[in-house]
Amino acid sequence: MRQLRQIAFIALKDLKRFSRDRPALLAFILFPFLFVAVFYFMFEGVGSEDDRLAFHLATREGAGGMSHQIITAMETRDPSQLQPGEPEIVWLKDYAEARRQVEDGELGGFLVFPEDFTEGIMMGYGARLEVVADAEATNTRMALYGLAQAIATQVGAQQVVTNTTVALLVEQGLATGEMPDIGQAIMGPVSAQSGASTVPPLIQYETEKVGEVKAEQPSNFVILGYLVMFVFFAAAQSASLIVRERQNHTLERLLASSVARESILGGMFIGTAVKGLLQIVIFWTVGLLIFKMDMGLSPTAVVLLSILMTIMSAAFGLMLATLVKTERAAGSIGTLAALILAPLGGCWWPLFILPKWMQSLAKITPHGWANTGFNKLMLFGADFGDVIPEMLALVVFAVIFGIIATWRFRTSAA
Amino acid sequence: MPEEYLVAQELHKSFNEQKAVDGVSFTIYRGEIFGLLGPNGAGKTTAIRMMSTVLEPDRGDVIIGGHSVRREADAVRSQIGVCPQELALYEDLSALDNLVFFGRMAGMSGKEARAQAMARLELMGLSERAKGKVDKFSGGMKRRVNLAVGLMGHPEMLFLDEPTVGVDPQSRNNIYETIEGLRDGGMTILYTTHYMEEADRLCDRVAIMDGGKIIALDTPYELRSQIGEPERVTLEDVFLKLTGRSLRD
Repeated sequence: MRQLRQIAFIALKDLKRFSRDRPALLAFILFPFLFVAVFYFMFEGVGSEDDRLAFHLATREGAGGMSHQIITAMETRDPSQLQPGEPEIVWLKDYAEARRQVEDGELGGFLVFPEDFTEGIMMGYGARLEVVADAEATNTRMALYGLAQAIATQVGAQQVVTNTTVALLVEQGLATGEMPDIGQAIMGPVSAQSGASTVPPLIQYETEKVGEVKAEQPSNFVILGYLVMFVFFAAAQSASLIVRERQNHTLERLLASSVARESILGGMFIGTAVKGLLQIVIFWTVGLLIFKMDMGLSPTAVVLLSILMTIMSAAFGLMLATLVKTERAAGSIGTLAALILAPLGGCWWPLFILPKWMQSLAKITPHGWANTGFNKLMLFGADFGDVIPEMLALVVFAVIFGIIATWRFRTSAA
Repeated sequence: MPEEYLVAQELHKSFNEQKAVDGVSFTIYRGEIFGLLGPNGAGKTTAIRMMSTVLEPDRGDVIIGGHSVRREADAVRSQIGVCPQELALYEDLSALDNLVFFGRMAGMSGKEARAQAMARLELMGLSERAKGKVDKFSGGMKRRVNLAVGLMGHPEMLFLDEPTVGVDPQSRNNIYETIEGLRDGGMTILYTTHYMEEADRLCDRVAIMDGGKIIALDTPYELRSQIGEPERVTLEDVFLKLTGRSLRD
């Protein structure tokens, strides 16, 4: 009982010292939020908006031409009904106006059906689709080329079927060889509007959904990455304070005041861990209220993962304090470790966008496990059970650090 | 017959095969101020650290108030106060916070620790600066806080390792008076210093250490008598005669 009280007093003393250390408060609380705010706004345009691809089409054919039917079949009538990733097809009715918009830089480009499109297809001499695009709009031009190619392939395939059918009918005396009329009769239904007809549209777009495609809040990965980094950084820096206590003999004084070695160790661990917990409480409060973070399907798992991250970091800080001799060494190595492990462990960028070998490398860092767990929970809809491996990994790291700290801990600088 | 309070028995301690303390034995009586003198590296601080349970002896033992530092460290710790040579304080906390914290570590209740802390600060002439942060204090004030912390709890014996280093005459005088007052109150004190006039004034008996061994032990008067007329020679003369004039690291 007395030992528990001593542990509590040592932890409280550390917290009191921390609360009166303005530079430390700035470094551990305000500074991380400046980082988070800056990177939040930097990433705000990335992934948060659905920059939907739009294809603009026009035709120079008169009304009733096949191109009108094709464009009508493809045109997007209600953009709000589009699925994620599905492009919007816009019919530009006025060719001259569309061309002017491209020349004025208001539009990247559009695809034009020529005046003789239907005739060229029916008579078999072909039709040339034209891409009108701004010279600098490379992506638009390439996308329109792709669309033109798709239309050409589809229409070409339909035309082969039509010609073969007509040839067979003529051969068997079932038709007179008035190919344009027969062809029109066969092609007509094929190019009819998709919504109004039971016949499938001429051009079909297929969207393969891999997981739930959804615009993400940048805070869901920015804040967590920095949470992991700064909690670890703060704990690593606390190693300096422990070394200072060893050097100025306050630890020896505690030992001579009937305080057990285990109580000193426990008190310093709890003090460091509570500082980390305060950090994550503030991080989460600000994240939820200001940056509108989404805790995913299992807020309990998110909270538990945060706590385990803090415990692991505190154990690391304690271990570092027992491995170095001077305060300066503790500060330097703590900073170095935090800055090396943060990018390796995915604190600066989401791990899942990195190459496989870097994702494997991240597994040797506690940061990697913590970030993977947070990403699973907050970006990929995982629940509690899915992140148990990540939680266990953090526990293992904490136990290893704790064992080394206990084994190496000494109260004297000698 | 004075009561034996601390008995050091054949203490040995080596660091990297270098003997720091080499077979030290002596006795301190209850209510006595015992001076431990010696040049730098003589082994005084190592001996104090072993006696105050911070460092385990390689061989030998120390009995304090009937308890062995090797086997009953907790019992010994409850009877001693330590004022190390270094300023073992939390400089970012107030003087009062420091004293209350160490009082609570020694097992006192919050109320008791606060009351005793204020009394100790009063004794050291620091009550008006009780709530001042230690890092804003002068060197002498810090030394007095360091001593006040050593007095927290209810120690029967106090280890003072060079408590007046870098202290102005006023603070030094305050510390002397405090120590004499504690002795008069029945406290047993082990005192190390490099200032010979200090030892001469305060100590009832003095042991001079060199090379990890005790080379002389007696009252200051008797030690002075060994090299001349006690009224005409100083303890420093005795010290230099016994330890030599060669410079030490």
